[in-house]
Amino acid sequence: MDLNPIKDAFDRVAKKQKMSSSKTQEVVAQMIREIEKSLEIIKAEHCGSEVDCKSVFGELKKKLQEIAPLSQLEGTQKELNIALSKYPKQLEKSFNPDISKAYRNIDFDAHTVNQIIAGHFYRQGLFDVGDCFINEANEPDSTAAMKSLFSEMYLILEAMKNRNLEPALNWATANSIKLKEKGSDLLLKLHCLQFVEILQGGSRSKALSYVRTHISPFGANHFSEIQKLMACLLWSGKLHQSPYSDLLSPTNWNVVAEELTRQFCNLLGQSFDSPLSVTIAAGFQGLPPLLKFMTVMAGKKQEWQSMKQLPVPVELDREFQFHSIFVCPVSKEQSTDENPPMLMQCGHVLCKQSINKMSKNGSKTFKCPYCPSDIDSTQCRQLHL
Amino acid sequence: MEMDSLPNGNSTIPTSTTTPPSTALSSKLTQLTESLKLEHQFLRVPFEHYKKTIRTNHRAVEKEISSVISIVNEAADSDISNDDAVQHLTSLVSRLQGLKRKLEEGSRAENLQAQRCRARIDHLESAGAENLSEWNNTRMKRILVDYMLRMSYYDTGLKLAESSNMLDLVDIDVFLEAKRVIDALQKREVAPALAWCADNKSRLKKSKSKFEFQLRLQEYVELVRAEDHLRAITYARKYLAPWAATHMKEMQRVFAIVAFKGNPECAVYKIFFEPKQWDYLVEQFKQEFCRLYGMPLEPLLNIFLQAGLSSLKTPHCYEDDCTKEDPLSQESFRKLALPLPYSKQHHSKLVCYITKELMDTENPPQVLPNGYVYSTKALEEMAKRNGGKITCPRTGLVCNYLDLVKAYIS
Repeated sequence: MDLNPIKDAFDRVAKKQKMSSSKTQEVVAQMIREIEKSLEIIKAEHCGSEVDCKSVFGELKKKLQEIAPLSQLEGTQKELNIALSKYPKQLEKSFNPDISKAYRNIDFDAHTVNQIIAGHFYRQGLFDVGDCFINEANEPDSTAAMKSLFSEMYLILEAMKNRNLEPALNWATANSIKLKEKGSDLLLKLHCLQFVEILQGGSRSKALSYVRTHISPFGANHFSEIQKLMACLLWSGKLHQSPYSDLLSPTNWNVVAEELTRQFCNLLGQSFDSPLSVTIAAGFQGLPPLLKFMTVMAGKKQEWQSMKQLPVPVELDREFQFHSIFVCPVSKEQSTDENPPMLMQCGHVLCKQSINKMSKNGSKTFKCPYCPSDIDSTQCRQLHL
Repeated sequence: MEMDSLPNGNSTIPTSTTTPPSTALSSKLTQLTESLKLEHQFLRVPFEHYKKTIRTNHRAVEKEISSVISIVNEAADSDISNDDAVQHLTSLVSRLQGLKRKLEEGSRAENLQAQRCRARIDHLESAGAENLSEWNNTRMKRILVDYMLRMSYYDTGLKLAESSNMLDLVDIDVFLEAKRVIDALQKREVAPALAWCADNKSRLKKSKSKFEFQLRLQEYVELVRAEDHLRAITYARKYLAPWAATHMKEMQRVFAIVAFKGNPECAVYKIFFEPKQWDYLVEQFKQEFCRLYGMPLEPLLNIFLQAGLSSLKTPHCYEDDCTKEDPLSQESFRKLALPLPYSKQHHSKLVCYITKELMDTENPPQVLPNGYVYSTKALEEMAKRNGGKITCPRTGLVCNYLDLVKAYIS
């Protein structure tokens, strides 16, 4: 996005503001000088004859009229005002000034939203903020379970940041069967990290015995990894010069920490990403086409409030694709239980209604819209995506 | 880049994509631009605040200078003793010096606010493909702080902003200004709200706001409630009458209030005395306040939640086997999404039941004899592990890898 016009418009504002404020300073200083001058005159003549104060004030009045402080300020103020009114116009041009245009007037249940937010804070490890929120929003402590579940995870991750693998190993060992079921080799990865740490600590024999007790049980499925670790023993003390120096990379720790987070959430029955973050990120992708639609269909605000399906397609990134969707290439409709996708003999897929239509309810064969095959509708098979 | 590690996939192995990386990157950047365009409030609010400070400072200067000039003019027209003259002039000098100090302070405040405006622009500029997930994380927090401030959870808002070191990226001081007015209204005091109206008189007038009228009306109602009829009438004459031209109908009702006070049966007039009128005033104030700062009336969180839920909502979300990575697998999200429309797609997108990965030409769908569809990658792996045998995870059907047929889905 090109932010330069905005920067320029803002620089103008800031410049005019500086000019205006130095001008004001100057004008006030001028006034002070004039008044002080008059003061001098009166003081100087005070000791001598009675001075005509009235004329001194008259003179001062004339002087101030000449300075005309307010009209002096007017000029810079006017320029400043122009810049001040231009900047918001530039913002409205570059940005979408009203993102609530595609907002449906429904009230979210505040309690539900607050529960979601509290859960989000806890699962992001923002425990203090979460506690503060529960307190301030007067929410019952039903998210406490979430808090205690995730606090264990963050203790483990925090320890890992300090290169302490013990809590992580304890957890992974306690859950090793479940991890295995999920096809995760997290425990082995943790042991490998620990092994490298011990080796780096300089003790080859300790490292060897660590492999024997903790890593050898994985031998059946991870033979090559273990071979690699054993070879590392030869390079003890100069591992960074060895072909295995990649084992020292700190990113290994991040990768394992992420895997741990993933598995931890997995075993808790929680998603890897905060559902709130996912929804909001999807909202940032989904809103622009909706706003565009609302601009075009400005008159249909009423219909929008009751539509059962979005009026425009919203393409989200693949990270937001959680379900299979089949859109019939002929009817352009999404498949349903009544109108499922059907596989034709040629391997192309249409939905049932389209096939019924093209075959006149099965009374004749028809040509596949994608290839020259003749299709017999009775030979089509329903797909389960 | 999210391309490499799909959060809904089980493997961390980079998956091949149909589009070459360069177009994927450019579409990512277009998407980023589109989402940055939604950040109007982020730049507008600190600017309105800055503008307000400039205006207030300027008004103070004008007032002070005019008053100094008029004192001089007055003195020039009257006979004044020497001592008085010295005293007069000395006090003028010290007054102007005080103004000078105030000016310096004011311009310091202005500069700080200008800095904040710049920090916002720089923050938007810093968003790029390489720091996107961190940037999005901050964006999530900004939206949460906005929610906290709008819902009057100030402590949480402040705590979140402080702990994430993003005070420049949120508008806590702006909302604290609103807090003073809201707190007072909740204690049934209108003075701060009226002062706020006076501060923003011209802009409220421009938007044809009725807020001040409603405040005055409430004060009047309170006088009637206290049976202070004489004062009520004087008050109405002074503060409500000027609105007669534009609000004649309400005005007539208002004057009739006195008459109906004793009659609690009359519904039209009864509502004026209900305590929830004060809550209504708070709501009204919040709206006026948002309008003045160029903010949407709803919290950003609600706006993006709605858009996000609608974009994610499919009939499959409400099925029992909905993957837990989908926010709509959770009861609370389902509840919020209930009154919202389903998303709409123009193209088929097949997600493999086994790997949870999106299928494409690199990893095309294959069909089992029973019509169930899985990705080639998942099926190949299964066949490799089980000597060419495939077991359908949903039906238990066992078949041969060779029995599968490819499906072409555009």
